Amino acid sequence: MKTPYAHTPTIRQQIDPTCTNFRVFLLKTPLFPSNHSILRVNWEFSAMLIYTLIYSLLVFSNTYALDVLNSDVVVKNVGRSIDITSQLVKVVYQFTFENKGKNSEKYVLFAVEPQFKDKVAFVGSQIKDFKLKAVETKIQNHEDKSFWRIDLKSPLLPDKTVSFDVELIAVKALVPYPAEITQREKQLVKFSGNAFVYSPYKVLSQTTTIATGTKNIESFSKLQPSKQVDKGVSYGPYENTEPFSEAGITVHYENNSPFLIITRLERTLEISHWGNIAVEEDIDVYHHGAQLKGPFSRYEYQREANSGVASVKSFKTVLPASAISTYYRDEIGNISTSHLRVNSDSVELELRPRFPLFGGWKTHYILGYNVPSYEYLFNSGNNYVLKMRLVDHVFDNMIVEELVTKIILPEGAHNIKFSVPYPVTRLPDSKHYTYLDTKGRPVISVKKNFVVENHIQDFELTYVFPRILMLQEPVLLVVAFYLLFLFVIIYIRLDFSISPEEPKKDRTTYTGLCQKLITHQVKRLATFNLIDKEVNSNKNQNALAAALKPINQEYKFESTIINDLLAKVKGDANEKVSKLAEAQKLDKVLKEHYTQNIERYISGSMGKSQLLEELNSKKKTELVEKINSLLS
Amino acid sequence: MQAPLSNSAAWKSLITFTILFLAWVSGFSSRLFAVIRFESIIHEFDPWFNYRATAYMVEHGFYNFLNWFDERAWYPLGRIVGGTVYPGLMITSGSIHYILHSLNIPIHIRDICVFLAPIFSGLTAISTYLLTKELWSAGAGLFACCFIAIVPGYISRSVAGSYDNEGIAIFALQFTYYLWVKSVKLGSVYWAALTALSYFYMVSAWGGYVFITNLIPLHVFFLLVMGRYSNRLLVSYSVFYILGLIFSMQIPFVGFQPIRTSEHMAALGVFVLLMAVAGLKYFQSVLSKSEFKYFFIASSLIAAGTVFLSVVVLTYAGFIAPWSGRFYSLWDTTYAKIHIPIIASVSEHQPTTWFSFFFDLHILITTFPVGLWYCIKKINDERVFVILYALTAVYFAGVMVRLMLTLTPVVCMLSGIAFSRIFELYLRDEEVPSNNKNESNAHLYDKAGKLRKMKHEQEKESDEIGTNVRGIVVIVTLILLMMFAMHCTWVTSNAYSSPSIVLASYSSDGSRLILDDFREAYHWLSQNTANDARIMSWWDYGYQIAGMANRTTLVDNNTWNNSHIALVGKAMSSTEIEAYKVMLSLDVDYVLVIFGGVIGYSGDDINKFLWMVRIAEGEHPKEIKESDYFTDRGEFRVDEEGSPVLLNCLMYKLSYYRFGELKLDYRSPAGYDRTRNVVIGNKNFDLTYLDEAYTTEHWLVRIYRVKKPSDFNRPRLPLSNRKIRTKSYITKKTSRRKKGSIPGKPPVIKGKKPVRT
Repeated sequence: MKTPYAHTPTIRQQIDPTCTNFRVFLLKTPLFPSNHSILRVNWEFSAMLIYTLIYSLLVFSNTYALDVLNSDVVVKNVGRSIDITSQLVKVVYQFTFENKGKNSEKYVLFAVEPQFKDKVAFVGSQIKDFKLKAVETKIQNHEDKSFWRIDLKSPLLPDKTVSFDVELIAVKALVPYPAEITQREKQLVKFSGNAFVYSPYKVLSQTTTIATGTKNIESFSKLQPSKQVDKGVSYGPYENTEPFSEAGITVHYENNSPFLIITRLERTLEISHWGNIAVEEDIDVYHHGAQLKGPFSRYEYQREANSGVASVKSFKTVLPASAISTYYRDEIGNISTSHLRVNSDSVELELRPRFPLFGGWKTHYILGYNVPSYEYLFNSGNNYVLKMRLVDHVFDNMIVEELVTKIILPEGAHNIKFSVPYPVTRLPDSKHYTYLDTKGRPVISVKKNFVVENHIQDFELTYVFPRILMLQEPVLLVVAFYLLFLFVIIYIRLDFSISPEEPKKDRTTYTGLCQKLITHQVKRLATFNLIDKEVNSNKNQNALAAALKPINQEYKFESTIINDLLAKVKGDANEKVSKLAEAQKLDKVLKEHYTQNIERYISGSMGKSQLLEELNSKKKTELVEKINSLLS
Repeated sequence: MQAPLSNSAAWKSLITFTILFLAWVSGFSSRLFAVIRFESIIHEFDPWFNYRATAYMVEHGFYNFLNWFDERAWYPLGRIVGGTVYPGLMITSGSIHYILHSLNIPIHIRDICVFLAPIFSGLTAISTYLLTKELWSAGAGLFACCFIAIVPGYISRSVAGSYDNEGIAIFALQFTYYLWVKSVKLGSVYWAALTALSYFYMVSAWGGYVFITNLIPLHVFFLLVMGRYSNRLLVSYSVFYILGLIFSMQIPFVGFQPIRTSEHMAALGVFVLLMAVAGLKYFQSVLSKSEFKYFFIASSLIAAGTVFLSVVVLTYAGFIAPWSGRFYSLWDTTYAKIHIPIIASVSEHQPTTWFSFFFDLHILITTFPVGLWYCIKKINDERVFVILYALTAVYFAGVMVRLMLTLTPVVCMLSGIAFSRIFELYLRDEEVPSNNKNESNAHLYDKAGKLRKMKHEQEKESDEIGTNVRGIVVIVTLILLMMFAMHCTWVTSNAYSSPSIVLASYSSDGSRLILDDFREAYHWLSQNTANDARIMSWWDYGYQIAGMANRTTLVDNNTWNNSHIALVGKAMSSTEIEAYKVMLSLDVDYVLVIFGGVIGYSGDDINKFLWMVRIAEGEHPKEIKESDYFTDRGEFRVDEEGSPVLLNCLMYKLSYYRFGELKLDYRSPAGYDRTRNVVIGNKNFDLTYLDEAYTTEHWLVRIYRVKKPSDFNRPRLPLSNRKIRTKSYITKKTSRRKKGSIPGKPPVIKGKKPVRT
């Protein structure tokens, strides 16, 4: 899908009187810098509105018709200056056209050599500060060449002249020669061009100067009159050259400027209505100068001044003045070598790639920052307009081979209209999902090849966003938490066990049982006290035996109860239970101690005093103490 | 205050919850030093592989991950990753990633990996709390939970960015132990099955699961020996063993090991023993005493004989693998040094020093015997477990630095018990009224209070600790705890929070200088070499090269193939000509060495070089001899007195290429090595077979391109200029016919009926 978006959207907006966005423009136009169709609306407000519409319609119809080459027009004079000091070829033509025909001309044509056609990135034209519209077009019988139609400010009347400038920027037109150099060598490049201005009209007089930025010019084509001037070469003046005349020239010179090309730049703008616009640029950089031949020596690079002159150590990126929280990283983390300088009108970022870039080396990084949205996003009610740069500065004299710009709008934005200052390819819209999204955010993406600094211009995006949708995300969160708590509240009140729960054994009954156990054990322990009493009081052995009988019975009775209770609680391994069981064991030992001694006493093998001694022995007191401590 | 205070259970759970939450938060945040100082980045070596594998799984799906054949490692052998990793870590972070992304939370997988270990440290703290609560009391549990949240011994493996198996495995370990203790206590199938599930997670996460498979049987065995057999034990162990065995065999890397290797045989033996005991108990209830005695002796003799014989026969026949080398080195600390230098060369496999015990555990190392003593004094079934846990862990931690990690949780638990006891004794209020209450209660059913009085006498004895003594003890203990917290923070911040791929140094004015040479080199490799370029380096850097540069490596930290590593070692330690032959045979395109001589980085390849020589000597004893690399006096030195073999080997040359010309500052002579503090011996040499391809800013990483044979001695002729034409077989199949097609076969499109064309 390739749609030339040059004019159509803006025109459609102007044509469609029902378009609600129009009101927004009118309300907000003073804030907007310039896009000339809108400016026109601004200037000529109501009275000129109809005229503008008609005019635009004409332009619209002209875009797709073949333009006509009128040979009555001649170029009276043209001065051409070619700047090849950087990696770009910047050509400025200063044209003076004369109309020798009978009819007035609304436009003139500007042509580029067929072999040069693919390298042209930008053509612009202006009379002083007023920009003229330059549109690529086709001419019958000259399909191999490429033409730009330059619409004049006012029609060129017969026998009148008009002067204006045309600027042309060509990329990849400088060829490193030799194509491979070692680390110490300087980079030499070759520029091949035309000694004459390639014009569809007859040129009466022309001169060309080529600025190389260096005196080290190895060679240049001699075409009389031509000469080497300070840091450059000049050709001409030539008189009366025919249309489409060509004479190949080459200039071979030293050029150590950074030959960096951005092979791919993906720029993502994420709009948040909470006041922030996040910008992220994913950049692939390649050094397309002379390739590095042989080894890279760090020693020489560090110690010798002329080593690696053609390499790129760092470059500067200029960000908007309001850019905050900048980050510079790649897929393996932060790149720690960068410096940020905040100026009054911009933020200057000195980026140093992880390694110096020699010819043929490439790198990849991600640069991101945030800007406040009030500088770029304007609204009237639910209608919003976003004005931002389609592409921003990466480094001076940059070339972007492929630019993809993605604009992520807030969820729920609709009625999206997009207008750009120059033709781009619009890619299919997509959806982007991020925090708390349900339907997904609309994403507008466009693509353009061969972008240079002159393309740093604003696009305009209008859309409708109901403000109530701002509440969607907080409400979503609230509902989610509400549901979570509700679920927990219900869940803890449900019982999923497959067997009926044992009647609260764990808490109340269980502790009750333990309590009972303790009571009975204490009671049983008390029987020993009774025995002691009996032993102390009764002197007769038989009488003692008789007196002890009921006490022993009581002991047995308590023991059975304790055993039953212990069996009940024993299922649970618990500290308390194990203590009670321990007490039970000790109790047995104590009982044995008692019965043994008393039996001995009754049988007569032991004296009374000895018995008393035994019954108050250390062993006994220890046992009692232990049981007590276990039962407490 | 009154109303909520009345519900003491609610208060208790609120306090417990708050403490657990705070422990989690403080544990999490104290692990973030590296992220705050540097960035959210994966640390060190192994984590880079784990991260790469996780990223692969997230990108290609779980089943493709299990089937992943990594052709970028171990060139030309490759590595079957799915079958040689413990996938628990990747699955954990992958599923977190999946859940978050299905909720539209676009967190990068790297950030999940970086923060996984700190998050799991919170879970570890909670499971330690649960385990200690089961063993002793909730108070001790809270202490243990706070200790493990910040103790350096555990932090060392779980700082943000250290994305390694241990980070989640310690949680799995503690949780399995908790469930096991719980199931032994209750004897319920439910808890035992949960134990097996948790064990399954542990098996999927870390090779240290062997610790569980041996400790739990040991516990069971000791319980049997101590005569603490019960049906609870029978139920929980048999359920755990059977389920755990089946579960563990589901992990591809483990496979049939649980029934075939000696490490797992103890579990089987104890299982058989437990069954035998259970059987005997049954027969005891059926047979008379004398019959039983006879039966017991006969059956136990037969059983013991059969088990022993079968194990021996199976081992001999090869069905059961003997102990692995790493396992031997646990018993005999010198074993690895003699037999497997590659294990001994890893610094974390060295025996632990006393210093590192104190460094990693601080006050806990002194208090944990106290807790152990309490456990021994008041023994019960589950405390037997913690005693065994403590004793074995102490032993293993003494053998290998790395196993400090398994000691740390048990030290925290036992110290928690100790501190909890101290505060129980010294922080208790003099509760006179409550004593009276006890007395009055006692009077209800005990008229003869004489015996009970003894108890009061005893209590009074403990009460005799004066208020001042109590105060002093409490304050001193609190100070100790505070010092512990400070020590933990200090150690974490200074010792364990360096990503080690980004180095930081401080200049004299205090400003920080970041040395990012590793990433500089790896990024250079990833951007400016052919996609299939093969890079030779020592195995330490294999994972990093694969993870950051995404290039093929010859050897990496997996170290599964000793002879391949020895081949690289041989190339590094022989002369350039010899090395070139090896490199040609291995298709090496680039060689990467780490050189710290410019900035004084001590972990560089020259300092590791002797290990390379040793490992190479193990496989190629004729070509490489360790003694050649020493001087006559047996010193390893790179200056003029160094042995000529060393001064001419490839590693030396690659490290010091053109370094002899470099003057670091005005005072020192040219070629002064800051790491070894000497002027290098061999200064002016050229490389014949290699080219310097890239050297990072501080010379830390040096990359050389290996020249192709056509580059220097035999220029490559294009095919058209060749006089002798090599016969080349040209297939007659066109690209259309390549597959072998059936004429007239209708094209099949999914979901549509085939139409004859």
